[in-house]
Amino acid sequence: MGQVTDLAVSAILLAGLYATMAYGLGLIYGVLRIVNLNHGGMIMAGAYAGWWLHAQFGIDPYLSLIPVSALAFVVGVVIYRLLVRRLPRGAAGGVQSLLLLFGVWLVLRNAAYLLFSGNDQTIRTSYSTRAVSLAGAFLSVNRLAVFALALLVLLALHLLLTRTYLGKAIRAVAQNPDSCTLVGVPVERIYALTFGLGTALAALAGLLAATLFSFNPDFGATELLKSFVVVVLGGLGSVAGTAVAALILAAVEVFAILALPSYLTAAVGFVLLVLVLVVRPGGLFGQRVLG
Amino acid sequence: MRTPNRALVLCALALGACKQPSTDQAQQPSGGSTAATAPSGSEILIGATLPLTGSEARIGGFYKEGYDLAFEEANQNGGVSVGGKKMQVRLTLLDDTSTQATAASLADRLINSDKVQFLLGTYSSHLVEAQSVVAEQNHVPYVNGGGGAKEIYKRGFKYLFGLLAPVQLLSTALMEWIDSQQQAGKVPKPAKIAVLWENTAHGKDFRSGVSDFGDKHKDGYQVAVDESFELNGKDFSALLGKVKSAGVDLFLADAHLPDYITMQRQYVTLGLCHKVQSYGARGSEKQAAEALGAEHVRYILSAVWWNAQLGTQGITKKFVDAFKAKQKRDPEWYQAVAYETARALFLGIEKAATLDRDKVRDALAALDVESILPGGKLQFKQEDGQQAIYPFVVQQNQPDGSSPIVWPKESAKSSGSPNPGCK
Repeated sequence: MGQVTDLAVSAILLAGLYATMAYGLGLIYGVLRIVNLNHGGMIMAGAYAGWWLHAQFGIDPYLSLIPVSALAFVVGVVIYRLLVRRLPRGAAGGVQSLLLLFGVWLVLRNAAYLLFSGNDQTIRTSYSTRAVSLAGAFLSVNRLAVFALALLVLLALHLLLTRTYLGKAIRAVAQNPDSCTLVGVPVERIYALTFGLGTALAALAGLLAATLFSFNPDFGATELLKSFVVVVLGGLGSVAGTAVAALILAAVEVFAILALPSYLTAAVGFVLLVLVLVVRPGGLFGQRVLG
Repeated sequence: MRTPNRALVLCALALGACKQPSTDQAQQPSGGSTAATAPSGSEILIGATLPLTGSEARIGGFYKEGYDLAFEEANQNGGVSVGGKKMQVRLTLLDDTSTQATAASLADRLINSDKVQFLLGTYSSHLVEAQSVVAEQNHVPYVNGGGGAKEIYKRGFKYLFGLLAPVQLLSTALMEWIDSQQQAGKVPKPAKIAVLWENTAHGKDFRSGVSDFGDKHKDGYQVAVDESFELNGKDFSALLGKVKSAGVDLFLADAHLPDYITMQRQYVTLGLCHKVQSYGARGSEKQAAEALGAEHVRYILSAVWWNAQLGTQGITKKFVDAFKAKQKRDPEWYQAVAYETARALFLGIEKAATLDRDKVRDALAALDVESILPGGKLQFKQEDGQQAIYPFVVQQNQPDGSSPIVWPKESAKSSGSPNPGCK
């Protein structure tokens, strides 16, 4: 395969990871109108949870996805019940929610330093460096698995939001919480479940990223920034838009190497973010409600 | 709606409780009796920071082992002799968390609040670069074993002394070994090179060592890929894809340990294989073999500032034996350079025969002593910006897990060979 094809494959596989990282952030913003800065902390926590289960009990990181996500869901609900629900909603609570959730992230990060030290960790399995050959190109088994899981999560999220009562309630609350209260939708419970779901998605993304990269307690900061770019590009609150935006960001970063030094490629995504905010503040796919 | 004040206060308290240890608990007086900060008449107070957390935490820990051994040894021998009087040495060590701003602000705290008399350096060029400015402004002798980039020593600083030989010599040593293999017909001529370097002063020096050597041997080498990358990067697949497309013979990268592990994992999964592969000073670390699998670090070359295989006689053997007795394992170059850094400062103080900072600086500048570093001599010549100059040793990972010295010839334990599994 030529270089362009190689780069295209890299971009598609990377997009899977970016999309998984961004789903949770987009979902929470779409419903609660809160920018969850603790998203980075939960990405880091997910990575450590998977690593710990693998190091202590030999559990395969992909098998850990369900228990880690479930635990993160509970953590998310608890954070919501204890902290987030006390905040004012909308623009009035913007700064408070940013500060509060940034604080929670710092607590998580320092806890990780205390528990695991600052050493870089990696999850090494029998297939960590395995690759499959396709038309002369080598594709990492882990990257393929992460991409497949990203698609699966997108599908599951889409089905949840469009085919279930809970999903419809989430979308309704995102549109108009006051009307939902009038017709008997338990808005507070929907908020808690949404926050839990977004947190679970962040931990899941962290665990998937940990199968590809080394990590330490600072892990999650760059991932949070990339998630921001994806969510803003895709249009805040749009799930399908998030997936397409992830592909755009990954493609821009990967193909930038043809024209720019490698160390500048990460910055290209942020240039794109600024351009979109100036030209189309609602995102490339418009300000859509979830679904 | 309730006000968020209570939650924010709780969060701030929790943050404060967690954040505190990252600086205060890292204060580890070493080689002395108590954690008191005021210097007593019989003690020499020396300050240092190391990256004990963050991306360079593991290596920071190695440097601490070297510092600890040097301080213990000095104190067991009665202390450092200052004008005929033996004085105990005490190290106040803080955690700079691998960040430039913290390294600089903690150096300021050590000098102006903890009132240390001298400073030992932190690890990695970009931290030393920031921290040495504070030492220079305060006229405090700053001896470091963690900054190898030449740029740091070109600023005309008077109080800065470096024990890491320039990184440029590192890549030159690698190229000299490669050249010997090319002359033996084991590496193609001309050979196409991919040089990948982290976008730091360290990486730039590495790159110029390779390109300067290539310029002098134009018929033997051609740089086909010349790319820099971000420190602590995550995804190198596009960069490695470019290397793959270029069809190079030699893969020469300069990376710190986390980037080496991340990049090598992606290198392997992309099915890349080159006759000669190096990550600069990284390659033989046990952590990398554990993270990647021993089979994926075979034949990787690394050029380092020191190797335990040099410790067959004299003070080098004494250091190796003392380290092994304490830590129950062989020292790596990190501990050796840290140990020698502290020893150089002690020798400077002894030569000055006073604790006067300017006189100690002058003594360090005139130092010419036996050393455990390759070449066996330590000097901080003014024409080199007070950076020690000595030859690097090149080592190569072997299939049996060993990493013998392969260059220079006079120290070599094996001749080494390009990777026989790669075309």
